[in-house]
Order: sequence, then structure tokens, then C-alpha cells
Amino acid sequence: MRMTLAVAVLLALLPLGLPPYAMTLLTEALIMGLFAMSLDLMVGYARLISFGHAAAYGLGAYTCGNILLHTDIPLPLAVPMAGVFSGFIGIGIAWVCTQATGVSFSMLTLALAQLLYAVAFKWTSVTGASDGLAGIPRRPGPFGTTYFSTKIGFYYLTMACLFGSFLFARALVRSPFGAVLRGIRENEAKTLSLGYNTRLYKIAVVAASYILGGLAGALYAPFAGFANTELLFWLLSGQVLIMVIVGGTGTLVGPILGAAFFLLVQQQLSTYTDSWALFFGVIFIAFVLFAPEGILGLARRRRSVRSH
Amino acid sequence: MDVLPFLVTQCLNALSQAALLFFLGCGLTLIFGIMRIVNFAHGAFFMLGAYVGWSAVHWTGNFWVALVAAPILVGGFGAAFELGILRRLYGRDGHAFLMVTFGLTLVMGEAIRLLWGVEALQVQMPVSLSDIVFILDEPFPIYRLFLAGSGVVVAIVIWQFLERTRLGLLIRATSQNAEMVHALGTDVRLVRSAVFGIGCGLAGIGGVFAAPMVTASLGMAPNAVIDTFVIVIIGGMGSFLGSMIGALLVAFVQVFGSYFFPDFAMAFMYLIMLTILVVRPGGLLGKEA
Repeated sequence: MRMTLAVAVLLALLPLGLPPYAMTLLTEALIMGLFAMSLDLMVGYARLISFGHAAAYGLGAYTCGNILLHTDIPLPLAVPMAGVFSGFIGIGIAWVCTQATGVSFSMLTLALAQLLYAVAFKWTSVTGASDGLAGIPRRPGPFGTTYFSTKIGFYYLTMACLFGSFLFARALVRSPFGAVLRGIRENEAKTLSLGYNTRLYKIAVVAASYILGGLAGALYAPFAGFANTELLFWLLSGQVLIMVIVGGTGTLVGPILGAAFFLLVQQQLSTYTDSWALFFGVIFIAFVLFAPEGILGLARRRRSVRSH
Repeated sequence: MDVLPFLVTQCLNALSQAALLFFLGCGLTLIFGIMRIVNFAHGAFFMLGAYVGWSAVHWTGNFWVALVAAPILVGGFGAAFELGILRRLYGRDGHAFLMVTFGLTLVMGEAIRLLWGVEALQVQMPVSLSDIVFILDEPFPIYRLFLAGSGVVVAIVIWQFLERTRLGLLIRATSQNAEMVHALGTDVRLVRSAVFGIGCGLAGIGGVFAAPMVTASLGMAPNAVIDTFVIVIIGGMGSFLGSMIGALLVAFVQVFGSYFFPDFAMAFMYLIMLTILVVRPGGLLGKEA
């Protein structure tokens, strides 16, 4: 708890000393961190490895974009609304995908996310098809305040979403509900035989994950000012999975670090080469091969070695 | 247009599409059946096949050279990847393979972009196949007939290979009890490399076959791998016959669906997959979920 508070204070003070472009990068890192953390709920705690998590992000982004473009609802309300909507769709997606288990589950998540991607391409009136939604405003309010539409105000809004979601996710995984999830992760048959309806638990955690992932997407739309089909594309699903694995599954914090690491390396590499995806592929393969516990796991392993 | 000629030509269309999907699906299911690995990079191998095919046609001007060279090169690359990387992962759970092959997809996609560029590449059809024939007075491209025929031939070859040859026997034995095969003096690791290579090689053939119809482009990989996943989920993971049925089903839905309901063809495919999953979670011919 003290650690969380310290990090929160540090992040809250950063705008005082950082130049604007760094603020933009930092805001994006927090949004991506929230997105990666939401996937960790599924991957790290219930071993539901989704290759289609971009679905949550895209749903959130398009929903928030439409709310901001076509209604008077202010930004701080539109964002959670989009998250909740994404969670509702997540229930449906989870209902389908949990028909299967293991690797088949992963393949289904990918297939359904691609279905949404295809729908986004056709449904011009809602998604703007290949042009996407442009000019998404940061609608002021509530009570007429324009604070959240400023760069720093938006950063604080993002930070609040990330910390709120983190506290929610941590409470979730520490609750009895989380214990059942870990039971599913370690041995689903056993958990089932103890009388838990494991499928219901899995659908619930996917829904929670979609709410938080949708929240991240909902922040991205007004952050970037646009939403396009890229946000539903399988490449993004893969990238966020990389962030989770590289950061360390089942830690919540690890994936946030993984997302920051990913964006930082992308930023650095893209000044030298267009082919940063190549390096990411290699880095990812290396992590799965040699350090499946991720950055955070590596750090913990080193610490425990030293203390023995 | 009369009903009968329309039906016949659309069915032939669907059969040629099924042949393409079958090259993809049976490779994936062969690899899964023997090694319990879901190869995410299958679409990337398919794409590599198309690009290698383009280069072979470009340099030699001969489509048949491409048809031989691409599967050998692509299969060889697959086998090398198994030897160098996948082998280190045996004993880990299935998702490790899915993730590593996803990483490979990124690497291959980027490498292909660097080597061949971003432009879609048109592969010239062999002259002997570029004509059309008239079936019940309806024009129909010979190439598609050739494709459908090739699908049937490859299916028979693989089936006979698995049933009649010594390597086929070893492959089937490995899928049932790898340790026993190993104990009896066969290097199972080599069998696995061979299977992975063969599976990727099949995807490579598919890529060469597809290239003259759809051009070799960077968008091929994701579309191919998703169609392939749908096929094996429908047919049942690891079932050779299942991948054939899945390919036929998906191809017919794609062809007829996109004719009658162009906006909903994709949705139909998913609806079928969903129905099958609800009724038989393991797929039509699969053993387990």
C-alpha cells in the first residue's frame, strides 16, 4: 500500500518537471499500462490466454468516441460508460470462448476479435469504416470545467483511471473470487469438483478484464482524437500480450512496467529503424524461452537469490 | 443465368477454395496432432510460400519450379525453427508454443517486408492454366479446376504417406506414444522436426497456389491463420479428416455466403463454428475440447 502511494505521488508530481512531449508519452504509457493490466487479470490469474484483447480496447475506443461525438456527456463520464459497455460485450465474447479451453480458447478469442475488426470495416455509420472516427473532442465538464481537456488534466484523469483500476483489480485477485481464479489456473478439474462453477467465474473475470481494457481504449480515443480499425487489429492483441508476458504475468504491476518498457523501446528503436516489430518479435521469443516469468519475475528471483 | 450451371460453377469455385484452405488446415492439424503445438506462424509460412513462389517465377519464369521450390524452402525453414527454438520448449504448456510462434509471425512479417517490400506482388499464372473453359456454357478459369484437382491429389498423397510409408508409421506412432517410439530406437526429435517441416511446407504450397489468384501481400498471414483456426476448430484439433471437412464447410460458406449475402459471409462462418462448438466442444471429429 505504501509503495502504491509513493508511486502515485511520484506520478502526480511528474507534470511539474517534464516537457510536454514527455507528458504525451507518459500518458500513453499509462493508458497502455492499464490495457496490459486488464489482460493480466485473465492471463495471470485464470490462465485464460487471450489473443484478441484488442476487442476490449477497440470497443472502448469506438464507444467513447461515439459518445463524445454525438452526445453532450462530459469526458470523465463518457470514459467509464464506454468501459462498462465493453464489459457487457465481454460477457458475450466470454460465453462463446469459454465453450473451449486451453489453446482452443486462445484461437477463439483471436477469431472473435477479428470478427469485430471485420464488422468495424463494414459498419460505416458507427465506426467510420476505414477512415475511422476523427476529431473526437475532449468534451468539457462536469459543471463546465475544462480542466480535463488540457494536457495535464487529461494526464491526471488517466492516472486516476489507472490507480482506481489497479486498486479494483488487486482487491479482486485478493478476494475469495481471486482464490477461485487461481484454483482454475492451477487445476480447473479440481476446482470444478470442489463445486465451483468454473465457467461462470471465467466469464466474470473476462467481463472485468473487458471493463478495464475498455476503459483504456476509452481513454485512448480522446487522447489521440481519433479511433480507427487498427485499435481492433490482431497486431495490437499480440502487442499487449507481449507487454503482459515481458512484464510478468500474475503480478498486475509487471504488465504496467511491460507496457512502459514496450513504448520506450518502440520510441527509441523507431528513431533508428522502421523494423522495430522485428526486434520485438525476437525480444518476445527470448523472454518466452529464457524468462517466462518476465521482468518483474526476474527482479524477484534475483532478490530472493541474494537474500538466501 | 440458369440454376444448374450457376450451381456447378459455384461448387467448383468452392472446391478450389477448399483446396487452399485444406493445405493450411491439414498442416496445422498434422503439427498439432503429433506435437500438441498450435502454430500461430502458420499464416506467416503461407505468406512466405507466396513470396518465395513469386521470386521463383520471377527468376526462372516457371511456375512449376515455384511449386517445388517454395514448399522445400518453407518446410526447411520450419524444420530449422523447430530444431533451433521450439525444441527448447518441450515440456512447457501449450501456450508457450503459441506465444513463441506469434513472435515468429512478427519477425517473419517484418523480414518479408524488408526483403520483398510493401507492394503486393502479382505472380504470373502458367500459360497452360491461364485460360478459361466452358462448363455448361459458363466460363470457368482452368486455374481453379487445377487448384481443386491439386487439393484432391495432395490429400490422397498425404493420406497414403501416413498410412503406407515407414515415416508415416513413425509419425502416427509418435502421436500415440512418443516415449515408446523413442525407446524402440527411433529418434523422436527428428520425427518432430520432420512433421513441423512438412506442416509448414504444406502451408508454403498453399501460398504458392494462392499467389496467382490473390497476389502475394503482407495482409495474407493474419487472414490465413484465422481461417485455418476456424477450420481446425470446426473439424477437431488433430484430425486429418476433420481438417478436410472443415475446409470444405468453410469454403462453401465463404463462396455461397459472399454471393448471396456479401456483408454477412464472415458472420456465417462464425455462426457455423459457434454452433459446432456448442454441440460438440471438441469439433466435429475431435476427441477433447
